[in-house]
Amino acid sequence: MPLKADIKILVVDDMSTMRKIIKNMLGQIGFTNIAEADDGATAWPMMENAIKEGAPYEFIVSDWNMPQMSGLDLLKKVRATPGLEKLPFLMITAEAEQGNVVIAVKAGVSNFIVKPFSPAVLKEKIDKIFK
Amino acid sequence: MSMLNDPSMKEIILDFCAEAEALFDQLEQSLEMAEENPSNTKELEKFGQIIDRIMGAAKSIGATEIATFCELGKVIGYKSSQIKDIPLIEVVVAILFDSLHMLRKMITALKEGNDRSMEKLNTKAFATRLNWLSAKFKDIDRASCAIDPAAGKLSQTSIDDLMQSLGL
Repeated sequence: MPLKADIKILVVDDMSTMRKIIKNMLGQIGFTNIAEADDGATAWPMMENAIKEGAPYEFIVSDWNMPQMSGLDLLKKVRATPGLEKLPFLMITAEAEQGNVVIAVKAGVSNFIVKPFSPAVLKEKIDKIFK
Repeated sequence: MSMLNDPSMKEIILDFCAEAEALFDQLEQSLEMAEENPSNTKELEKFGQIIDRIMGAAKSIGATEIATFCELGKVIGYKSSQIKDIPLIEVVVAILFDSLHMLRKMITALKEGNDRSMEKLNTKAFATRLNWLSAKFKDIDRASCAIDPAAGKLSQTSIDDLMQSLGL
């Protein structure tokens, strides 16, 4: 079944350049309902509020290295929260160290993407996550 | 067409330049603190973390040379944060100041034109210092923000490969 265009997505990255690039790519893929946060520490309250309002985020796209709360810590918080254990979570990183990938997988990441990436690669990862 | 030469991406490129310049100021602060107190190697680790953030965005906009210099800076920052040799740390800090100066020039070139503006920058003197510096870190494994230090796989070879990718 194809993904609906208005799936609620949260893009988390401390670099506004990256947020714009990712939002552009998601828009190119066809997604329309995209919010953004500039750190894991700002993303988490947004996620909590969305749950309270009865409209939780359905897909998280997060950078790994952020100054206040890393993508890994955000992922761990998400996975430790009842109801969010299966929330699709795509981790983005600038480096492909094997150790980091293993750690993220152990923490429950849905998929892992390395910068730089194209809209086609992003779509491929998303398709795999929601397959 | 590279994002750098795509007129429709100009806004993103300029945003990147502004963000990078703001982070360069933070990098400079870290280096100033490390220069003042070379035993405070946390500042060098912080340097590695901050420059890593610039690297990711630089890669994504296709600013390959900036990304490569950031990667070198990241590796040297993380590795030097694990040493206790004060005279070497002092040299590292001086070289990282130089690399930061080079990165500022690259960003200025990026703002002024396209990736070809980079070609005017002479990076050879900087590379010679990095070559010398990289040889000092052969036995240090951790080179990134890997959570598990033992899992950090970026080795001396990676530094050498980076240098090779710069044509050095």
